[in-house]
Amino acid sequence: MQRIACPERDDWRATAESAGFDFHTIDGERYWDERAYYAFTLEEIERKIEEPTGEIDAMCLELVGHAVDDEKYLRRLKIPEAFWPLISESWHRDDGSLYGRLDLSFDGRSPAKLLEYNADTPTSIFEAAVFQWTWLEQGIERHIIPKRADQFTSIHERLIEAWKKLGGAHHLHLAGMTENTEDAGTLAYLQDAASQAGLKTTLIDIEDIGLQDDGKFVDLDDRAIELAFKLYPWEWMFHDAFGARLRSATTRWIEPPWKAILSNKGILPLLWEMFPNHPNLLPAYFEDDPNAARLGTSFVRKPLYSREGANVALVSAGTTLVEQQGPYGAEGFIRQAMAPLPNFSDQYAVLGSWLVDHTPCGLSIREDENPITGNTSRFVPHAIL
Amino acid sequence: MKRSRRVVLTLMGSAAVGAVSMGLVPRTDCGPGNTTVPGPDGRPYCRPAYGGFGGTPRGFHGHGGHAHGGG
Repeated sequence: MQRIACPERDDWRATAESAGFDFHTIDGERYWDERAYYAFTLEEIERKIEEPTGEIDAMCLELVGHAVDDEKYLRRLKIPEAFWPLISESWHRDDGSLYGRLDLSFDGRSPAKLLEYNADTPTSIFEAAVFQWTWLEQGIERHIIPKRADQFTSIHERLIEAWKKLGGAHHLHLAGMTENTEDAGTLAYLQDAASQAGLKTTLIDIEDIGLQDDGKFVDLDDRAIELAFKLYPWEWMFHDAFGARLRSATTRWIEPPWKAILSNKGILPLLWEMFPNHPNLLPAYFEDDPNAARLGTSFVRKPLYSREGANVALVSAGTTLVEQQGPYGAEGFIRQAMAPLPNFSDQYAVLGSWLVDHTPCGLSIREDENPITGNTSRFVPHAIL
Repeated sequence: MKRSRRVVLTLMGSAAVGAVSMGLVPRTDCGPGNTTVPGPDGRPYCRPAYGGFGGTPRGFHGHGGHAHGGG
């Protein structure tokens, strides 16, 4: 694994915008950054990223199988009791998952370590699936990267196949916070893939979803929502006004309710309990567990619910070195052993390893001067050399 | 990892962006407590800040001004 500086395409912004990738720059700062790329060997990709990703996902599914009907687990995860049946029923009905992204610490030498699992509402999939592939193709044509370069991504093809499997003959609604440019772009991309799978689709803002007297969720045309993709976290759904109506409605949701277990940082200590010393896991404990003292005075503190690194703190020798501000933490925290991110040219890099329908199929990389990856971290492409 | 692969978009992009990417309208100032959303005619209009699933008022303070459901 190495970071290689390279010239950027002089027309990449226009290329991005013509593809609908309007959030390449956020608040005047680069989000997409192709002034460098990360290079991997095929061995690194296949043995050290792809295989562990499949293994971690399998461990996660085993954990859900244990947790879904076990009050002890659900209480530790602080999942509201009213939603336990919804979660359990979705698991036993085998409601399908479209996608997820594991965030890994990997330096090319030691085994990749799971930092967290974005199991419910991962973004950056358009960049990973489409725009970094465009970069690879144009980079080869323009002699920016070697002609032999390849890339770890079959996300796009797998999404289309997964939509065929999940969608059947249903009309698909895609819901989220559509006024957010990044979320709107993610929804538009997933809608595009669903359309290529033959599904009829409707985009709707999450707050525009209505509820009929018969308990059915409906869109703005009063069409019943049978199948909905939501880019909106389950823990927010639970607490919002219609949360209490979820169980009685007939809508099938993607990601399914059982993903509420896996998007919770509490799975990190639970995985460590179930699979102690697994090479791709870091020691982790609930903060109120006396065993957390085993980590000593240096660890990473994460809220059970958090996104984009918010409220995550790096604690070293008892002193908080770095802390991302944010609104999370009311449900409690976990502590995870420190896994320093590899530093290349003063940039900390985190790998995002993508799964579609539980198949590892792509890689994205975010880098930052800050050791906690946040929503301003830049997306940097990769190549297999 | 297939060098011969073709990634094709059928909806996203300049031809269809207005139809499918509802959030890509430049922001205008609607004042405190309001936000801009695209209207049926494609032009922005103001409405109260985010209501959530079922319209519950939700505050996103402290998230750096980039509140969103993905992560």
